[in-house]
Formats: sequence, structure tokens, C-alpha cells
Amino acid sequence: MTSDAAALTTHGETHDATEHGAAGLGNPVLGMLLFITSEVMFFAGLFAAYFSIRASYQELVNGQLVHLWPPAQFADTLKALPFVITTSEGHTVLNVILPATLILIASSFTCQLGVNAIKRDDRTGFLRNFGVTLVLGILFLLLQAYDYTVLFGEGMGLGSTTFGTTYFTLTGFHGAHVFGGALMLAVVVYRGMAGQFSARHHDMVEATSLYWHFVDIVWILLFSVLYLLPGVKA
Amino acid sequence: MATTALHPAAPAVRGGLYEWLTTTDHKKIGMLYLVNSLVFFALGGILALVVRLELAQPGMQFIDEAFYNQAFTMHASFMLFLFIIPILAGFGNYAVPLQIGAPDMAFPRINALSFWLLPLGGALMASGFLASGGAAASGWTEYPPLSGPAYHGTGTDLWIMGLVLIGTSSILGAINFLVTIFRMRAPGMTLFRMPILSWTVLVTSVLVLMSTPVLTSALIMLFIDRNYGGHFFDPANGGNAVLYQNVFWFYSHPAVYIMVLPAMGIISEVLPVFSRKPLFGYKAFVFATVGIGALGFSVWAHHMFTTGQVFLPFFALMTFLIAVPTGVKMFNWIATLWRGKLVFSTPLLFAFGFLTMFLIGGLNGAFSAAVPVDFALHDTYWVVAHLHYVLFGGSVFGVFAGIYYWFPKMTGRMLNETLGKLQFVLMFVGFNMTFFPMHQLGLMGMPRRIADYASTAGWTELNTLATIGGFTIGLSMVPFLWNVMVSLRNGRIAGDDPWEGNTLEWATSSPPPPYNFDHLPEIRSERPVFDARHGRTATH
Amino acid sequence: MSLPPRSRASSGPLIAGTLIVVVIGIAIVALLAAGITPQRAWESFFPVGGQPVVTDRAHATRSLYDVVFYIAAAIFLLVEGLIIFTAIRYRRKPGDEELPPQIHGNNLIEIIWTVIPLGIVLFLFVISWQTLNTVDAKAATGDVHVRAVAARFQWKFDYLDGPDGPNAKVVYEQLLPVGDDGGLVLPVGSPVHITLTSPDVIHAFYVPKFLFKRDVVPGKLNNFDFTVDTPGTYRGQCAELCGEFHGSMLFEVHALPQADFDAWMAAAVKKAQQSPPPPPSGAPAGSGAPAPSGAPAGSGAPAGQAVQEAAHNIAFVNQNLSAPANTPFAIEFDNQDAGQPHNIEIKDAGGAVKFKGDLVIGPAKATYDVPALPAGTYPFVCTVHSNMTGTITVQ
Ligand code: HEA
Ligand code: HEA
Ligand code: CUA
Ligand SMILES: [Cu+2]
Repeated sequence: MTSDAAALTTHGETHDATEHGAAGLGNPVLGMLLFITSEVMFFAGLFAAYFSIRASYQELVNGQLVHLWPPAQFADTLKALPFVITTSEGHTVLNVILPATLILIASSFTCQLGVNAIKRDDRTGFLRNFGVTLVLGILFLLLQAYDYTVLFGEGMGLGSTTFGTTYFTLTGFHGAHVFGGALMLAVVVYRGMAGQFSARHHDMVEATSLYWHFVDIVWILLFSVLYLLPGVKA
Repeated sequence: MATTALHPAAPAVRGGLYEWLTTTDHKKIGMLYLVNSLVFFALGGILALVVRLELAQPGMQFIDEAFYNQAFTMHASFMLFLFIIPILAGFGNYAVPLQIGAPDMAFPRINALSFWLLPLGGALMASGFLASGGAAASGWTEYPPLSGPAYHGTGTDLWIMGLVLIGTSSILGAINFLVTIFRMRAPGMTLFRMPILSWTVLVTSVLVLMSTPVLTSALIMLFIDRNYGGHFFDPANGGNAVLYQNVFWFYSHPAVYIMVLPAMGIISEVLPVFSRKPLFGYKAFVFATVGIGALGFSVWAHHMFTTGQVFLPFFALMTFLIAVPTGVKMFNWIATLWRGKLVFSTPLLFAFGFLTMFLIGGLNGAFSAAVPVDFALHDTYWVVAHLHYVLFGGSVFGVFAGIYYWFPKMTGRMLNETLGKLQFVLMFVGFNMTFFPMHQLGLMGMPRRIADYASTAGWTELNTLATIGGFTIGLSMVPFLWNVMVSLRNGRIAGDDPWEGNTLEWATSSPPPPYNFDHLPEIRSERPVFDARHGRTATH
Repeated sequence: MSLPPRSRASSGPLIAGTLIVVVIGIAIVALLAAGITPQRAWESFFPVGGQPVVTDRAHATRSLYDVVFYIAAAIFLLVEGLIIFTAIRYRRKPGDEELPPQIHGNNLIEIIWTVIPLGIVLFLFVISWQTLNTVDAKAATGDVHVRAVAARFQWKFDYLDGPDGPNAKVVYEQLLPVGDDGGLVLPVGSPVHITLTSPDVIHAFYVPKFLFKRDVVPGKLNNFDFTVDTPGTYRGQCAELCGEFHGSMLFEVHALPQADFDAWMAAAVKKAQQSPPPPPSGAPAGSGAPAPSGAPAGSGAPAGQAVQEAAHNIAFVNQNLSAPANTPFAIEFDNQDAGQPHNIEIKDAGGAVKFKGDLVIGPAKATYDVPALPAGTYPFVCTVHSNMTGTITVQ
């Protein structure tokens, strides 16, 4: 994106038709904000599906159809969420989701520190903070992978009732977005090491940080909905 | 006008194939959009003729029921996703940077990507015909459970994947349009001096941005249900079949305005130029466009009145309300023509086709807003009549108005007027012959999406008539294609401004140079080129 | 700056308009020649071609339709008239180079043409809401409770002993959706309660003369009430795409006077008690519908003479059968298609129906007792799927 904009600036210099004020958002930043808007709508679709399915889930309990959530077969495993998981053998395992959440929130802060640094023309500060953000992001993904293996071990999957379907779809797509954000971070760090950003020229840095904040906010919503929202008992 | 008179008419097609394949010039990309969309129009049209041929008489004569379902599903998918949405985006691509005085789109390479996703997605979708079990066949709406794994094979997966790519193309395109419009307008080009086409593209882009990702989410959930054992829409396992419809129409109702707003924009360019008056009520027009866009998000369930699962009065009210801003537009158009001096070139003829036919489509849509009436009309041929009157009578007539209007700018040569008028008459007559009887068929109770009907049902004559009409529309394409081929080489040289246009694209050469303008006229109203031609005194 | 001369001829609309008028004229003449009177043409703009509608709710809907139609027609004539008027009145005269008055707008008139349509649509909204309340109202009385089961591609009507629910019992199961001894049989003049369920995909219950349809959504129990007010047979059809044979998912409604209906119902219940209907397995799973069970229709055919036939993937497995002449024989029919209704109908060379078996919803078996046939070859067919055919040679 940046190079596209750069190409335009060059033409702008030769064609007087394109003299625009330098004030306001840069094209890549505006483009990113719009892209995030579309991503918000994408997740809105998934969330809407989750709530609708959650609200209409029914199960036979003592011969009566009743509404509950999560489904009875997972209620034990997920009893003390978000802090522990009880496996079928009766072990309790520390649920990694809460640490993962804290890590992701922290990474949003380091990311913002990086942006602030580059605005001061502090390139080392920027690189250090973005490096930390990237590492935290990868850590989050690893923890999520661990969470999946525990749940898979419990026999849960995309097909385990609508609970499994919604849980893995929502967290899976969020994970994919974290992965995409991590790639963008990596590119920014790489280009930053090559000295491409400065206090005057850092649209790409800002755009990436916006995306990272968005991914973080989606996770906070997901975490609240999947783990904190009280379940419905029979 | 002193600005661009120095440019000689440049040859229509510059550069070789390689240049076209790798171009990032918004004008070339716009023309690629147009050509690609017309190819899919032909494919979708041929499928429509297959449908019409089978329905002409009771009994199964040419194809079987399974292929019939594929035929109308792919007909609609091609027409909507690969013809009408992209071709309007193509006009936007071509005209918006020119109209706002920008050298190109904000992200030229993303622009090229948006385009190339389309043939790719289209090919994926169409390859369903080669898959075992055939192409997608649950209607363009692909309602589960019918579109689920139990009933349909690979063709449906290909349809989903193709549509996700096409949706991505739309989203990237919308971001590009918005950044271009917000950030790259020429000095003096305030938002309220922007040509209406650019305004409609702006509103359309917002609709795309807000609704298309929701479609993507629906498609992905369907894909998970089909391939990874998910249960989103699977009632046998606690899923909710109607949920899909809610999510789908949350996209697809705004989408019908994505399919018509830019065509309304084209009409709003053509009518002032050929009546030689300014657009009547420019601001009201802008507000009406925004209003349609906003209301468009609150009416989706009018496609689901008969599901018994939606809150009827709310959606009925919002659906009725949307007639008001549309009416404002209609009246503004008529007021633009009023006391004008109409020059009946082909673009204006097609614009009249739009006005007269879209009116019918709008009004017969309003019947369905009256919920009990919709109980009777839903899923009958009445709805088929409605959707073709708005989409063909509205959008397609608008598209052809646009083609005749900008062809001189794109190629430097005029299209032949006689052939254009011949095409118009054939198309107008064929269109009404095909789709008007569908009102009657719907009222008589003929359901849509049926491959066959009883000879005793009393529907035969009107179906035969519709089939003849369908082929007449097909015939109207012969003078069109002939016209384009001949005029590309031998058409009259157009000059910069053959129509005495109002907007900035007429201030540069035909075709325009790579970065569009050497000099821009001063922009002090929504008609800068008109102002430059007549001096400021004539404007007020 | 001066105007460049305009070279375009202005004859465009004249030619195009004349051609269009000529074509419309020809169309009118053709219609008249085909025997379509103005009367019939006018009626074709109303539901069911102007024929009377037959339920209490349908009359309300029809009145609403008429209001909407007349308002829409008036708007159409006015606006279309204005458009055509501008095309005729405001054409540029050749050689006229002067600009018309450059009017940019008028706020008052914008307000007028916003407010008037707003008033019209609000009015339309209010009357549709009122009509909706009539159409969707639940009938307080009436003891005819029918559960319509829509499965690909066949309708079945279960007559219940009371309101549908987990405890409702099926007193009679109407397997044949069309024909003299099939269809949805209803009394005239007393309210009917219909519930809808589907074991597979979405279908829709649609009777044109009821001006009504309602989707059959698997996993949801939709219901509606109405009273038929005219005896007769009315065509019904599935109105939601449900697969290849969506178009042949037909049914009939037989509306009988109350006394006739009571007699029919009594006979039907008796018949059901004597010989329970064939097991419609694969049928209703949704909404707690108790799957009615029962042994296959009694065989009683002489042993050793049974003819074997099976249906698989919407086709007969044996397309050529043979049977003894002039003696009754049995066909053991095995429907292997889950959820699919099939049967066997035997015709003679002249097309007269010699035998028609009850529908079996697969996977299930049935034994058909065929009466004695004279020697010859007879085509047979599944009445649901006209493309399922075969021949039986009787010798
Ligand atoms: C370009 C596309 C387009 C457009 C613009 C519209 C416009 C409208 N549509 Fe349409 N619609 C479709 C495309 C479109 N539609 C498609 C594709 C389907 C079928 C989908 C499928 O199932 O496959 C459909 C189906 C559809 C349904 C569902 C029918 C059913 O399945 O039962 C309904 C129901 O309310 C509806 C309503 C409307 C209304 C009220 C408008 C309004 O916006 C129209 C407003 C315009 C006017 C009313 C005319 C001008 C106004 C005046 C002159 C002012 C005075 C008028 C009054 C006071 C009434 N449409
Ligand atoms: C922009 C949208 C668009 C357009 C332009 C059309 C155009 C046409 N449509 Fe389409 N149609 C839809 C959108 C559209 N349709 C939708 C959304 C549905 C609902 C589908 C569903 O239920 O899921 C539908 C459904 C639909 C049905 C109902 C099917 C059913 O319910 O069973 C029918 C039946 O007649 C039909 C017919 C036609 C015809 C005859 C044309 C003609 O106007 C086509 C004319 C075009 C051509 C003929 C192509 C031009 C040809 C060339 C350039 C090459 C020359 C080639 C030859 C002449 C052979 N359409
Ligand atoms: Cu059942 Cu269509
Ligand atoms: Cu809609």
C-alpha cells in the first residue's frame, strides 16, 4: 500500500491536478481504517450467528426439551472456565486462555509505545516495542494452539454440537487474524530495521498498529462472550 | 475550452496484451471490468435462454430438472455477482478519478488485484459445471439445508469459494473508491460539487464495506457446515436454518442497492447533459442516495416474510419507507427533463428506458412490502417480474446508457446511432415481452424455480410469449456487438467533448492521457466543464 | 465560448417511439385475435386471474391487494405520463442552440414530493398491518387440526386429535397428496388449524386461492389458521425450492361441506384403525412429531407369485417385470430412497389406470395386490416421479 501511495506522490509532483494538503490521515491509514470496518462487519456476522445459536440451543433433559448452554456434555469440562479445565480423567489443568488474554492486551500497549516512539523519531524504541509485540503475538498463538489440543483431547471439535462449531469458528478466525497481524508486524519490523520509517514517514507503522488494536479488541469481546458470559443451566 | 484542445484523438487501444494484463491505470482497469462483465452477461444470458426454452412449453423437452436448477442458479449468480455489480464498479473505476480530477485511484495495484479476482472467482464458480453433480443448484440464495452437504456436491463448494473471492474484490474496490474520493479530489472539488455518479459510488462503497463481509461470514459458515462437520445451519443438530437467511439478506438487500445506485448515478449524468439543464435538486438527490443506503440496512427480512420467524411490521414499515427517497430521485429526474431541450441520442433513449421501466419495478416491489400481499406473491413469478424490472429495466438499461455515453471518451470514437437505436427498440420490446407477463403468471400462482408445469395450469401461452421475448433480448445484442466492433475501427472521431458534457472527464482528451489531466478547469460548481464552456453568467 | 454546432439528428425518439407503439399495437391485435378480451386482460392483473378466493383470510388479503393495486396504478399512470410527456413536449427543435432555463431546484417542491409519498406509504403500511392482524389471527374455535408434513418431494397430512404438540396423536394419516382419495380434505365453514413440519429441507405450503403461503422450516413449528368458505378442489404446491423435483411437489385441497367432511373423517378413522398405514419412516423427525408406526399393508397374495421391484435413486431397479395373465398377483416393492415417496401405477396400452399403489416413503417395503390383468405389456410409473418408468409383461 505504501508504495502505491508513494508512486502517486511522484505523479502528483508532475501533475498540478493532484496537489493535496498533507494534513489529515495518510492514504494507507485511511485505507486500513476502512479495511478494519469491513473486518468488524465480518466478525459481526459470526457473533450474530453465535448469539442466535446460543439462544436457540435445546437439549433433552429428563425427557423435556430445555434451553441450556453450554451443552451438558461439555458442562463438566468447562465448569470453572476461564481459569481451569477439568479433563475427562479428572485432572484440572490451568486454562491458558486468561494468560493468553493478558498477553494480547499487553501487546496492544507495546504496539502503541512503538508508534509513539517512531513519532519521536526514536527508531530503536520503535523497533524494540514492535519486536516485543510480535513475540507476544506469537506467544498468544502458541497458547491458543495449546488450548485447542486440550479441547481436542477432550473430544471436542468443530462437529461437537453447535457449541463446538461456534467456539472453534470464532476463535479460529480470530487466531487467523492474529496470524495476519503478526505477519504485518514482521514486515514492519523488517522494513524498520532497514531504516524505512521516520517521524515524518510512518503510515505503515500506524496502519499496522491500528490493525493490531482491532485484533485485540475483537479478542476482548470474544473472551467476554465465550468465557465470562454466564452459561444457562437446565 | 482551452485546456485540452491540443490532444489529437488517440488510438483506441494502446499497448499490447502484456500491457493490458499488467496495467494499473484506472481507465484500463475500468475497461477490463466492462469487458469481463459483458462476457459474463453473455454467459448468464445464454443460461437464461436455456431456462426460457425449457419453460416455453409444459413437459421436459431439453434438459432435466437437475440441470434446470443449475441453470437458473448460475444465471442469477453470473448476472448479479459477475455482471451487474462488477460492471457498475467498472464505470466507477473509469469515471470517478476523471470526474473528481484525480490522476488515478488511491491504490492502483490493489485496484488491479480487485479486478483480477473477478475472472478468477468467476472461473471457480463456473467450473462447478464440470464437477460431478454439476454446478450449484439451490438458487442464487443457496439456502441451507438444501445447499448443505447432504444434497449438493462440489459445485456448491466452488460456488462458495468463487463468491468469497468476488466479495473480496468488491471490498478492496470499495476501500479504494472511498480513499480516492476522500483524499484525491482536485482543488475546488468539494463533496457537494462532486458529480452524482461519484456520489453514488461513494454510497455504494459504504454499502459494500458494511455488508459484503457479512456475506463472507455467511458463506464461510456454510462452507464449514458443508466440509468440516459444522452445525450452524443444520436443524438436525441444533443449528438454525433461518439464521442463514438473516445473515444472507443482511448482505443481499443492501446489495440490490449496490446493483442499482451507480446505475442511477449514470442516469443522473446522462439526463442533465442531454436535456442541457443542471440536475434538478442536486442536494436532495445526494440526501436521497444516502437515505436509500441507510434504510437499505433495515429491510432485509422482507425476503423472509413467509418464514414465520421475523418481526413483520417493522420490516414492512422500513420497506415502504424506502420508496420515499427513491420517489424523490424519480421526481428530480423528471424535473430535470422538464422544460429542457432534449437531444435524443442513444444514451438518452436508454435513460428513458431506465425511467419508465424502473418505475414499474419499484412499484411492483412495493406490493411485496404489504405483508399479506407478499404471502400471496412471494416465490411466485411476480417476484421474478419485480427483480428483472429493477435489475434489467433499471440497472441494465442504465449500463447501456453508460456504455453509449462514455464509449467516445474511452475509445475516441463514436458508436453508431442507428444501430444503437435499433438495439434499444429490440431490447425494450423484448424486455417487456419477457417480463411483463410474469406479473400475470405470478398472480395466477405460478411458483418460481420450477422446471415444469402442468399443461392444464393455464400458464402456457404467457410462458411462450416470455420465451419469444427472451430471444428478442438476445437478438438485440447483435446490433450492439456489431456496433462496438465496427465503431472501434471506423467510428466517427469523437473529439474531447462530443456531448457537451458537464463533468471533468470531458475536459481531457478522448481517450485521456495516462494521468488524466494536463490542466484542470476551475471548479466552482458541480458542472465545471459547463461553466468553462458558457462562462459563469450562464449558470445561474 | 461559443457553442459547437450539434450534428445529431433529433429523429431518434420519433423512430424509436413509433416502432414501440407499432409493436404494442401488434401485440394488442394479437391478444385480441387469441381471444383475450379486455375483460380477461383486466382481470389478469388481480390474484388468481380474477377468480374468487376461498378463505376468510384470503378475502382480507384480496381487499388489501386491490387498494395497493389501485394506488400503484394511479402512481404509475401519473409518473409514467409525466415521463412520456417530457419526451414528447421538450424535444430540442433542430437549429435551436439556445440553452433552456437553468433551474437548479426548488425546496418547496422537493418537500411536497417527499411528504406526499410519505403519506401514501404510511397509509399503505397501516392498512397492511391491519390486514396482517386478520390474516395471522389465531382461530379460537375449530377442531380440525392437521399437521402437514413436507418431505422431498411429497406432502402428507396428519389429522390430529387436538392441537399439535408433543402429546398430539395422529388419528388418520393422509399419504396421498392428490387424487380422489387423497389431498388435504377440509370442512367448509369451520376453522382449520394447520401446523407445518419437515424432516429435510425448507418447503412452503402454498395454495394460490388461499392467497397464502407459509414456509415449512425443519426444526421450527410454523402454524396458521383459516376457514374455507367455498366447497371445491384447489391446487396447492410447494413454493420453496427443495431440489430437483420441487416443481412436482403438488397437492390438492378438497373442501367439503361439513356433513360430507364428517362422514369422510369417520370413514378415514375407521380405515386407519382397520389397517394401519404403511410405515412412513424417514418422515417427521422435527418438532417432537411421534412417528406413526404400523405394519405394511396386508399382503395375502398367493405365495410364490410375488413380483420383486425396488426403487433406488429415483429409478426403478427392474425396468422390465413379468407376471402371470388373468390371475391376481403381488408386487413386493422395496423403496430404498430415504425420505422419498414412491409407488407403482400400472396403466394399459390406452393409458387407463389399472392399478395404483399407495405411496411408500422410503426406506420401507410394501406389498401391492394387483388385480388380474389380461395378457399384454403394460407401462408402469411412479406417480410422484414421472421419469421413473418401466414395463410389465403379462403372459
Ligand atoms: C436493483 C435491485 C432492486 C431494487 C432497486 C429493489 C427495490 C425494491 N424492492 Fe426488491 N428485490 C430485488 C432487487 C431489487 N429490489 C431482487 C433481486 C429480489 C428477489 C431476490 C430473490 O428472492 O431472488 C427482490 C425482492 C423483493 C422483495 C421480496 C419479495 C419476495 O420474495 O416475496 C421485496 C419485498 O418487500 C422487495 C421490495 C422492494 C422495494 C419496496 C423496493 C424499493 O426500493 C422500490 C422503490 C421505488 C419505487 C416505489 C418507485 C418510485 C417511487 C415513486 C414514484 C414514489 C411514489 C411511490 C409510492 C408512494 C409507493 N423486493
Ligand atoms: C442483472 C440481473 C439479471 C439479468 C440481466 C437477467 C436477465 C434475464 N433473466 Fe433472470 N434472474 C435474475 C437476474 C437477472 N436476470 C435473478 C437474480 C434471478 C433469480 C434466480 C433464482 O431464483 O435463484 C433470475 C431468474 C430468472 C428466471 C426465473 C427462473 C426460475 O425461477 O425458475 C427467468 C425465467 O425466465 C429469467 C430469465 C431471464 C432472461 C430471459 C433474461 C434476459 O434478459 C437475458 C438476455 C441476455 C442475453 C440473451 C445475453 C446476451 C447475449 C450475448 C451477448 C451473446 C449472444 C448470444 C445469444 C443470443 C445466444 N431469470
Ligand atoms: Cu418442497 Cu419445493
Ligand atoms: Cu430486498
